[in-house]
Order: sequence, then structure tokens, then C-alpha cells
Amino acid sequence: MGAAFDSISFKASLCDGCGDCMTACSEVKQGASRISIVPGAKAGSFETAICRQCGDPKCVQVCPSGALDKDGGNGVIGWDASKCVDCLLCTAGCSYGGIAVDPKVARVAKCDQCDGDPACVKVCPTGALEFRKAGSIFNEYGAKEDLFVPGLSGCQGCNSELIMRHAMRKIGRNSVLATPPGCIPGMGSVGYNGKTGTKVPVFHPLLTNTASMLSGIRRYYDRIGRKDIVVMALAGDGGTSDCGFHAVSGAAERGEKVLYVCVDNEGYMNTGMQRSGTTPYGSWTSTTPVGEHMKGKTQDAKNLPLIMTAHKCRYVATASTGYMEDLYEKLDRAIEASFEGFSYLHIYSPCPTGWRIPSSKVIEACRMSVDSNFNPLWEYTNRSGLRFTHSPDNAYPITEYVKMIGKYRHLSPDQLAHIQAKVDEQVALLKLMAAESPPPQAAHRAPAGSSTPAGAELTQPARREIARN
Amino acid sequence: MNKVSTGKVIVCDGNEAAAWGACLSRPDMVAVYPITPQSSLVEYLAQFIADGRMDADLMDVEGEHTVLSVLHGAVLAGARTYSATSAQGLAFMFEPYFRTPGLRLPMVVSLVTRDAVSPTCVWGGQQDAMTVKEVGWIHMYCETQQEILDTIPIAYKVAEHPDVMLPVNVNHDGNYLSYGVARVELPDQSVVDAFLGEKQVNWHACLDPERPMAVDPLTGGAGGIGPSMFVKYRKGLCSGMSEALRVIEEAHADWGKRTGRYWSPLIEEYRMEDAEVALVTIGSMTGAAKDAVDAARDGGKKVGLVKIKTFRPFPAARIAQALSKVKAIGVVDRSVNFGWNCGPVYQEVLAALYALPVRIPMMSFIGGLAGADITVEHFDGVVDRTFRLAGGEMAAGPVWLNEND
Repeated sequence: MGAAFDSISFKASLCDGCGDCMTACSEVKQGASRISIVPGAKAGSFETAICRQCGDPKCVQVCPSGALDKDGGNGVIGWDASKCVDCLLCTAGCSYGGIAVDPKVARVAKCDQCDGDPACVKVCPTGALEFRKAGSIFNEYGAKEDLFVPGLSGCQGCNSELIMRHAMRKIGRNSVLATPPGCIPGMGSVGYNGKTGTKVPVFHPLLTNTASMLSGIRRYYDRIGRKDIVVMALAGDGGTSDCGFHAVSGAAERGEKVLYVCVDNEGYMNTGMQRSGTTPYGSWTSTTPVGEHMKGKTQDAKNLPLIMTAHKCRYVATASTGYMEDLYEKLDRAIEASFEGFSYLHIYSPCPTGWRIPSSKVIEACRMSVDSNFNPLWEYTNRSGLRFTHSPDNAYPITEYVKMIGKYRHLSPDQLAHIQAKVDEQVALLKLMAAESPPPQAAHRAPAGSSTPAGAELTQPARREIARN
Repeated sequence: MNKVSTGKVIVCDGNEAAAWGACLSRPDMVAVYPITPQSSLVEYLAQFIADGRMDADLMDVEGEHTVLSVLHGAVLAGARTYSATSAQGLAFMFEPYFRTPGLRLPMVVSLVTRDAVSPTCVWGGQQDAMTVKEVGWIHMYCETQQEILDTIPIAYKVAEHPDVMLPVNVNHDGNYLSYGVARVELPDQSVVDAFLGEKQVNWHACLDPERPMAVDPLTGGAGGIGPSMFVKYRKGLCSGMSEALRVIEEAHADWGKRTGRYWSPLIEEYRMEDAEVALVTIGSMTGAAKDAVDAARDGGKKVGLVKIKTFRPFPAARIAQALSKVKAIGVVDRSVNFGWNCGPVYQEVLAALYALPVRIPMMSFIGGLAGADITVEHFDGVVDRTFRLAGGEMAAGPVWLNEND
């Protein structure tokens, strides 16, 4: 399998069993819903039954007439009504209840993902259903040239390599890349002893002058008419928020056409996990140790991306490797914005070594950092203000996040309460900014309660009835 | 080709002369941040650019650290660049400043020399430039406004020479030269263009998608090829410095042919023919020193003077040769070497004279700190004391010329 496919995902924790997805599907497909919401094992919880468009589909194997077939282009398992002999073996063959039977016509009814724009996802009021485009992103990125040497020496589980490789695949060769001292050149991006680690022009700026050097490069290329070069930084949080902040702030104030990506691992992890301005309150680091008199960092982190919005940058966004589709969309917008002004992308990137997380749990930690509002995902432009790209509502308590991470192991209830209060305060501020921003051009999803699908007259028990079918 | 240009004559101060020197050298990018006593220099540049007299990108940035950093980027992309700073500005610039010669970036930056804080002081002195003498930049000190203007194009010629490829500081004394007004002749643009030719700034290291390379990968370590590579880079820098001694002379001669103004490229020997004692000076103090020498000569005292123009690379052999026949030497510094309790130029000359078979008594005079004037009378005293030194009256430490002013 070379290709990956987009798919509908279901997050049980967000589903309230409203059944809007089923009514929407019934309406669009003019028959039985292809998606079912069914009661979960725990009281009040829900699960879904929908075709998973399997890579090794049993339904296709058991079909005696060749009516089911997996489309190599979009991955959807298609059903050909003209070939189907209505034996319904496929419905038994699927372990997931993914193929339904339309009782009115006694024929197979299965999800075809509505040509990449599923009706069920569009009406889901809670965000439990999402159409994940990771597959097409993977295909797009997989076809692009990798611009780093094969063996970058990052720690196991580190997301920086993922960020670097994917960002540069997207940006391509017509670029100049700055990787200031930190983990990223430490991995070998600029190379060692006369050998490069990257196929694009790459350099070590000083820890303190990344945005300045890039400004000079960009200005000169603009001067000689080479305006299509992407001039970018892959920098750490220390050089960005602490000793190099003057350069970042100055370049942003001048509106330099630079793409500045800050990979935030909350400290000087390359030099041995020391505290930085973005290290969160309570965090253990090697310079905010835990002992009798000190229990980790005693100050709050500075919110660097928020500070960048105060510079009225052309583009500012936060992103996480836990939500790659969101990251990719922002990367696209950040690149585009960097041709018009200062473009700042802040990527939260846990450090398994320095934060004491098993490398296998890094992505989970990323997701929980977002889902608990510790690292809310949003974007800002100087034209349309701030908007969340991931709902900050129904967030997990912060304890769910910090318990995954060793550097918070010592936290007292008071310290936890402090962190929760700061997280709440931060989200409240972002919400205020979002509320004051003009509405986005097109909503991704209709807000709860605004849709009146054709099946709205069905009573709740009737919906459950359908679900059980 | 040998036609000597007689350009337009203006009356201006040293900062404006430097701005004209930069303007005529056609940098693509100028980055600026104001600091006393350099500020009017960058104001002139900004006005030249605003008026369209100078076709350069002006970057008004948030500090000297960024001044030099944006220029690093610009040079690596292919730009000819210019800036100027003083004292605290140079101190704040130090991190990228330290890096510039290692990257072999052929830049020109004027240092409008000033005493460095503390004690808090905004007036002339050479403590700033002297403090950074070991970084690997070429340092040339000017004596007059005209020399400032002329030395800036010469500096580009030296910096961009393929055998050199090093940054150059063209230094002029804060207050005395920065604000002192004099007659200055502006060469025709065509003369400077022909003198400088095409810029050659990033053939060796660049950040250009059409010539992708890693600039400055990690080099060194305990084993492997790293340490020897590092040695080669360091030796290469020393070699560029050594070559610069020759290139500086060639560039000054070439400039002289085109403009009629032949400045002494490394050192100037003034009335040294039969001198029994010699003064050594640097920068604008030399004018008063020459007057004192003339007066002493009129009084029958055989005194001469050696002015150092090029301080880095240090023209040690020339200095040793020039001073080889005198009986005593008085070196006048406008800054302090705290570790040796003397002036830095004194220490340099002392080291240079080790090559001679004879031991010549030397004395360190320190004056002109914090904007103080070193007058002809001060130099009369220096001449007198140096003659007494020749007569065997040794000194325990330096003489502080303005101590009792």
C-alpha cells in the first residue's frame, strides 16, 4: 500500500447521542442511514457503527458477485447495485457493523464518504465526528522530496524531526533555512565538519539573531527581484523567547517577510533541560530542580504566540504534532503569509527526554496538552483577528495532562490549582480575542442547534431504534 | 587610467565624510542604529537614501546586535553592506562581530571611537576599538576627514580582495573627527566605481537556493577530521590577515593613482630621517603631534613621528624598521591596556621591536580619554620626556597626559 486515505473519525467522548448524523445521512442518501450511533458499554456513552473503509476489507472478500470493491484512488469501498445479488453476506462479514441493510428495499446501505464531504460530519454539533484528511496529506507529503539527510540524530520519540522533514517537504528547495543552536542543528541539520545535513541552503545563526539574519537575507533577495524564496527559521523556544527575542520582535515590528517556526519544547533541552521563558509553572528543569526549598519553576511561562499577536504580525498560529492536519493547514497559511509579512508559527513539541515521557506516549501527550487547553490551538491574522482551530470547550482537567509527564510528578494540589487557574485565564483571554475578531469566512461546521435536518421530527426513542438497527 | 580625478569640494565633518565614503562605495544594504558620537553619520546615510542619492536598502533596526546580524544575512545572500557604531553599540554588537571574520564576510563598518562605559562617558577615546583588536577584523585608523572618506572605498577593495575576504573597521575619533569640520574633496562616482569594480562578497560562502550549501556546520571535537578542519579555518584567517598587509598597500596606491591622494597605508613616517627619538601616534591626535615635532625640530631637537594607520593586521616589521635607529620612543595611546598598565599601542610596538638586535627604551603615554584634548603642549611634554628617556631617565609606569589638566 503506497497510498493513504482520508476517513471519518469518531471521538466517543464528545458524542452526546443526538443522532443528527443519522438523520443527515438518511436525508442525503434517501434511505437508511449509513452511520449508526449506538449505546456504549457505559451508561450514557455512545459508539458508532460505520464502514471503516478497511485496507483489507472482509466484505469485499466474502462478496460472491464482485459488487464490493475498494477504490484505489480514495480508498472508499464502493458498492455496485447492478452486480449485487442481495445475499447480505457482507453485512455478516464485517466485524464492525459497518455495512447496514436498508429495510425498506432490503438492500445493502454503506457509507461512501459523500465524495469526500460527508454529510454526517457537517451536522455533528459536538465535533465527535471528523473527516480526517491525514491520508491525502500523507500522500501529498509522501510524494515530495525529503530535504534532510536520512539519519538525523534526534532523541527517540522527538517530534522535531517530524516537524522539520514535513515542513521542508512542503516548502521545497527554493528556500533558505536557519536553524539556530538547539536540538534541531544538534540533530545535524546544518551538518558536521564540512558536510551538510540539508539539501537547501542552511546555516546556524547565533542563538540570538535568527530573525535578524533572515531579515537581511530576505531584504536582499527582494531587492534583486527573487521574491519567491521562502526565508525561514526552525528555532527553539529559548532562542526565540529569551535571548533572541529582540530580533524576533524587531523583525515582526518591521514586517520582515520571514517564516519563523518556533518549536517549543519548554526549555533548553539540547543543553541539558534548563529553564527558559516558556517553561511552564511548576515544571522541573535542571535549573528549576525539585528539592526541599524549590519545587520546580516558580514563575508562569510567557505566552510567546500571544505576544506575537500584539506585534500585529501578518500571521500567528499555534500548532501541535498531535493534530497534524491542523498543523499542515497552518503551515500552508504561514508560508503564504511569509511573502507578505512576518509569519510566526508556534509548534508545541514535547521532549520525551527532558519531560520524562515514554517516547511512545509523546503524541498522546501532545493531544492531551491541546484537549486540556494547556496548549490551545488557534490562529491569528492582522486582518481577521484570532480564531480557535480546535474547540476549547469541554476541555479535560489539567490533571489529565500533567499526570502523563514526569517533570510534573512532584506537583502539590496548590501548584496544580495554580496551573489550572492560569490555563483557564489564558483560554478566557483567547476567547475574548476570538469574540472580538470578525467571524471566519466559512464555518467548518454548523453550530449546535442551528441545523434542522429532515429527520428532526423523529423522537429520541425513534432515533435509538435506528441506532440499534 | 592615470587621469587623476579632482572631484567636487565640500566642507563637512568626519561623520558626513564617512557617509560620503559609504555612499560612493554603493553598498546594497545599510543597517543602522544611532549612538553618540556616530548618530549623525547614520542620519546622513538615511537622508542620502531618502533623497535618492544613494541606492541602498536602509534597515533601521532595534539594536546593534541586529545591525550586524542583518548584514551577515545580506552578505551571505550577495549584498555589499555598510554600517557604523561606537562604544556600547560595538559592545552590544560583539556576538555577531566576533563571528564576522570567521565567516570571512567582507564588510565595512566604521567605528566612531569612543570611551566605553563605565565611568559613564559619551566622548571620544579609542577604548572601544582597542578592546576588540583580537577578533580578526582589519582596523584602519584615520587622521583627517578626507582620509575617512577615502579609506572607506579602500576598505571595500581590501575586504573583498580574494586573498583577504575579511571585515574592515574604518575608525575615526569621536568628537575630534566625527564633529570636526574640514575641506573634503568628493571623488567622482565613476572613479570609485572603476576602483572598486564588481562586488565579490559571497563566492566562498552563500545562502542561495541556486548554490545550496551549509554555512558554518559544527566543526571540531576531540577526534576525527574536525579539529584539523578548525585549525585550517583559523590558519586561513591568519593568512588573510597577512595578505591584507600587501593588499592594503596595493589598494592605497591604486586609490592614489586615481585621485592623487596617496595616504600612508600601514604606517606614516614623519621627519624620521635622522631622528634620535620618535613618537608613535594613532588617529587624529597625529596632527597636534606633528606640530609638536615641527616645533621641536625648529628648536634643533631631532625628533620624528610614526603614525599607525593599519593597526590590524599589525605592521610589525615596518614599525620595527622605522624605529630601528632611534634612541628612545614615546608611544601615545588614546585608550588603556588594563592588564599591562600601559597603552595598547605601546604594548604592540614593544612586541614589534623584539625583532630588532638592539633594545630601545620606550615609554607609554595615555591621553585624550573621555574626549579630552591632546594639545600641542601635551606633545611638547611627550617629546621632552622621550628625550630624557633617551638620556637614561626611565619611567615606572605610563604618563597620563590629562591627569592634571
